[in-house]
Amino acid sequence: MQKSQNIMLELKNISKSFPAVLANDNISFAVKSGEIHALLGENGAGKSTLVKIIYGIMQPDKGEIFWQGKKVHIANPRAARALGIGMVFQHFSLFEAMSVLENIALGMDKKISNRILEKKVQQIMQKYGLLLNPKRIVSTLGVGERQRIEIVRALLVNPKLLIMDEPTSVLTPQEVEQLFLVLRQLANEGCSIIYISHKLQEIKALCDRATILRGGKVVGECNPKKETSKSMAQMMIGTSLKTIKKSKKKKFADIGLKVNNLSLKKQGDFGVSLKNISFTVRHGEILGIAGVAGNGQNELQNVLSGEIVLKDNEAIILNGVAVGKKNATERRKLGLCAVPEERYGHAAIPDFSLNDNSILTARERKNMVRAGMINIKKAQDFTKKIIANFNVMTTGHAASANSLSGGNLQKFIMGREILQAPDILVVSQPTWGVDAGAGSAIRQAIIDLALKGAAIVLISQDLDELLELCDSLAVINEGKLSKPKKVGDMSIEEIGLLMGGIHGAVPKESSSKIKVETDAASA
Amino acid sequence: MQLQLEKRLHPSRLMLFIVPIGAVIMTMVLGAIIFTILGFNGLSAVREIFLTPIINPLKWQDLAVKAAPLIIIGVGLSIGYRANVWNIGAEGQYIVGGLAATAIALITYEMSGWWILPLMAIGGIFGGMVWVFIPALLRTKLKVNEILTSLMLTYVAVNLLNYLVFGPWKSPFAFGQPQTILFNEWQTLPYIIEGTIVQAGAPIAIIIALLAWLLMSRSLFGFQIKTVGSAPNAARYGGFSENKTIWLTLLISGGLAGLAGMLEVAGPFGRMVPQFPTGYGFTAIIVAFLGRLHPIGVLFAGIILAISFVGGEVAQTTIALPNAAVGLFQALMLFLLLAGDVLVHYKIKPIRINRVDKGQMGAKKQEEII
Amino acid sequence: MNIDLTIAIIITMVGASTPLLLAALGELVVEKSGVLNLGVEGMMLTGAVVGFAVAYSSSNAWLGILAAAFAGAAVSMIFAFLTLTLSANQVATGLALTIFGAGFSSLFGQPYTGKPIEIFGSIFPPFLRDHPILRVFFDYSPLVYFSLIMVFIVWWFLYKTRAGLILRAVGENDISAHSIGYSVITIRYGAVGFGGMMAGIGGACFPLILTPQWVEGLTGGRGWIALALLVFSAWKPARLFLGAYLFGLIATMEVYAKAAGGIFKILPSELWASLPYLATIIVLVIFSLRHKASSSAPACLGKPFIATN
Repeated sequence: MQKSQNIMLELKNISKSFPAVLANDNISFAVKSGEIHALLGENGAGKSTLVKIIYGIMQPDKGEIFWQGKKVHIANPRAARALGIGMVFQHFSLFEAMSVLENIALGMDKKISNRILEKKVQQIMQKYGLLLNPKRIVSTLGVGERQRIEIVRALLVNPKLLIMDEPTSVLTPQEVEQLFLVLRQLANEGCSIIYISHKLQEIKALCDRATILRGGKVVGECNPKKETSKSMAQMMIGTSLKTIKKSKKKKFADIGLKVNNLSLKKQGDFGVSLKNISFTVRHGEILGIAGVAGNGQNELQNVLSGEIVLKDNEAIILNGVAVGKKNATERRKLGLCAVPEERYGHAAIPDFSLNDNSILTARERKNMVRAGMINIKKAQDFTKKIIANFNVMTTGHAASANSLSGGNLQKFIMGREILQAPDILVVSQPTWGVDAGAGSAIRQAIIDLALKGAAIVLISQDLDELLELCDSLAVINEGKLSKPKKVGDMSIEEIGLLMGGIHGAVPKESSSKIKVETDAASA
Repeated sequence: MQLQLEKRLHPSRLMLFIVPIGAVIMTMVLGAIIFTILGFNGLSAVREIFLTPIINPLKWQDLAVKAAPLIIIGVGLSIGYRANVWNIGAEGQYIVGGLAATAIALITYEMSGWWILPLMAIGGIFGGMVWVFIPALLRTKLKVNEILTSLMLTYVAVNLLNYLVFGPWKSPFAFGQPQTILFNEWQTLPYIIEGTIVQAGAPIAIIIALLAWLLMSRSLFGFQIKTVGSAPNAARYGGFSENKTIWLTLLISGGLAGLAGMLEVAGPFGRMVPQFPTGYGFTAIIVAFLGRLHPIGVLFAGIILAISFVGGEVAQTTIALPNAAVGLFQALMLFLLLAGDVLVHYKIKPIRINRVDKGQMGAKKQEEII
Repeated sequence: MNIDLTIAIIITMVGASTPLLLAALGELVVEKSGVLNLGVEGMMLTGAVVGFAVAYSSSNAWLGILAAAFAGAAVSMIFAFLTLTLSANQVATGLALTIFGAGFSSLFGQPYTGKPIEIFGSIFPPFLRDHPILRVFFDYSPLVYFSLIMVFIVWWFLYKTRAGLILRAVGENDISAHSIGYSVITIRYGAVGFGGMMAGIGGACFPLILTPQWVEGLTGGRGWIALALLVFSAWKPARLFLGAYLFGLIATMEVYAKAAGGIFKILPSELWASLPYLATIIVLVIFSLRHKASSSAPACLGKPFIATN
């Protein structure tokens, strides 16, 4: 449906390169007023770079930007806002230690007295149903509420174009519904919206038009309502994906990992405490842990890997041995390997060579240390084996970890752990920010490891990935873990509700009621 | 400054070597200019400070004497700095090391035997460790910043030294001079080269630098230190304890500073005096950075800083340049090194000025320009 | 204790506290913007020597103070250029600044050693500043009143102005501040310059109102104590004021300990001289026992910021 023929924003031949990649390659596209326009593409397709150029955070190397028909130079975000462009970031640009109102004031270009600002904020919150307490300190708020701050902040300048960068990646399905209502209301009032996502269902549900990016280039434009998810996915990914080989009927052996009433006090101001977590994983089984970011996934990962040591030795049992008090090295000797979410600086040391990164976790299981001295030859051999077996694109074993692309580094890290033949593997977000090819290779490697009899815990925010790989699934919310269930026994709606912290069965017609409850809880 | 930094994919190995050398050369050039402006003879100042000690063989023994404590302390500090553990109170640990060695010398004054010097060395190491024990304990148990505590304790160490040499340790034969009795021959380091003033400190410094090199490049412990310093989260993931690393690196740097203190008091000084704190502990910070926190680099950096000390003494007598000028040269060298370091991690590109449409000028603000 | 002695102690305490308070207030603004400048001691020494030289040559203390502020700000720009423009390590650069300040002041101050200077004292009429009781309010250098006014101004700036809000935001989350459109580097340059100015004035307090003459290294680590005070105060101006005066009192004890007699006489003077440094450590310990020190510090403190474009 065409609301208007007025072109709000037009980009012509935009290019932008970084030292290692060409992020945007001759991109042209236009957004009409009142249109919800999707920028669809995989991680690394160049979507974020493109909108950063529109919002003035980055400057294009080449190309022109036209705003309402006039050529403009957007030197910085302030200039973008002066034109009427607002943006809601994927990673919120909020100031944790400051109040909601202070955060909003910081987004204003002109000085406004607190009283008038608070009034304006109240008006916008009323109009769009975005409920917030202006006096609250941001660090005490949940993700959905944080996003509301960003939206209010963007709406205060009466934008004619609102950019939403992956807005739903951290929201529960119910929060997504609510967000869509706001966006549709805005579009009806004539505001254009650029909606960045790689989630096809959402784009079909929300957007009027979609521009599809791949490898920094525009590869297609369509009306998502007329396309199938499959056809858009093919445009987005390009080559047809390898289907994952997964045997349907699996029998699991004895228990590999048993977690008993594991609790952990929150670490630092922004941490999450874990509350009475219990589950078991058998050899050959993949247990998925779903949940919205920041609900205790990192804490759980670190507690299982041994980076955080517990007081209760019996809380974690590996093949019958209690290890709650043992550190990461001791647990590795007993067969537990782990891959944390953050690659640069956690799973790998960015400035160190791949060799050194092998020594980091494989030194014990691969006998690289004798009498306190490192056997460099053994480390090199192991590193070369990882590079060969996992098809890591690099200049060699002496290359530094940060010279690898995200996907290649992730393949290296997964290879390093898997080639140690772990008995138990705990892995977080293994394909986050990884290109499609590397992603499917990594997923296959996880499946293969399970087939060889390893017990695997997979913590991920990507529901599709979890449903594809896992045998059983549990949801983590505010540090509490739901009871694991067989994947086939859970509906998407049930998972969504669990992610939003609502346990137990919910009647179907009550979705509006849930919304009211979550609002009341957050206000 | 219209410069733009572009991160290199790999730190430049070439720059890693060139920058310290460039910093030393630039220090000479800039130093000559600055001292000329200040009304001194800038060129001869640079010549006397940086070249005379190298050209004149008579000064080589002075270099060895001055370089030894700088290298020993600098090696210890560089190990800690690698782990992001910022002990800047080495001067205090050096003093207490010297005091501990003196205490043993005073106790064993009536005795003789080869075992006295090793005992004094152990005492010196122990003294330095005791003085760094408090910062280490506070950092690991209470997360109290070691920069401030180690430095505060340096001032306390100076007062402790004054108390002892003006009070209980004052020599009865010194005609009221605040100093201890002169150490006996079993308590004084032997001269290792006949007819010079070079004592055991110099070879010990070289051995320590070599051992530290082996430790840092080949041992798991060195790997652990580098990992904790470079990526603390990855270190935890790899099973390395941060607290253990902090303890060990602080004890090593404190112990080495204490050993340097013992070598000084049993060497060039021969007794404890109020002038014992000569600033080696602070200069060693420059040595550690100039040496790129690498033991062999520290070895060379220690010699370079020793050159500036010896040269400063030369310049004082030949061209009446105040001794304080040396400190300024050393600080300048550190500034230039830190400034040059940007070349290791970044390429510098001149900024390209975009043409701006009229009417957009007001909004144009180049915050992307560094 | 008689009233005269009490008043004398108070006056000494206020004098000893003032340089600490000035330097710490400056560093507060610096650290609130997310920069850790460990070179306070060096900037104080630079301000001290330049302030003394100018005041001595011009026989005008006000000119000396002005020159000290300028000199402090000037050397802070070396730090700013290295850490902000060239993104050098802030800890190392701060140390370099301290070593530089020590070398510079010792070289530059040599000709002034032992030269007499008139104390930059109270400018109130004699019946107030010499009054046996009222002098407790009036017998101070103008710098003392300046430092007290600055406590209020810094508080007002940080918490009541938009510029202060932006400065805190930059220290809290530099990447976000940049993405909203604030110029992180420019704001930090300004903060570092202000810190240098305040440290320079604080340093000038020593030769102009405390000693009053040039003595090498006369700041005696006060710059480092100012840094510790920030931790102690949890980066809050009012508590910074209390902390500075507490330390002034401790430093005063050294002066009056011998006069007091009794137990004070037995303890060696070196112990009293060590007291401010030991107290600094004790205060850091007490603070960390009560709070998690890291939680009240600006989140970006000491981290380099590199703009992407």
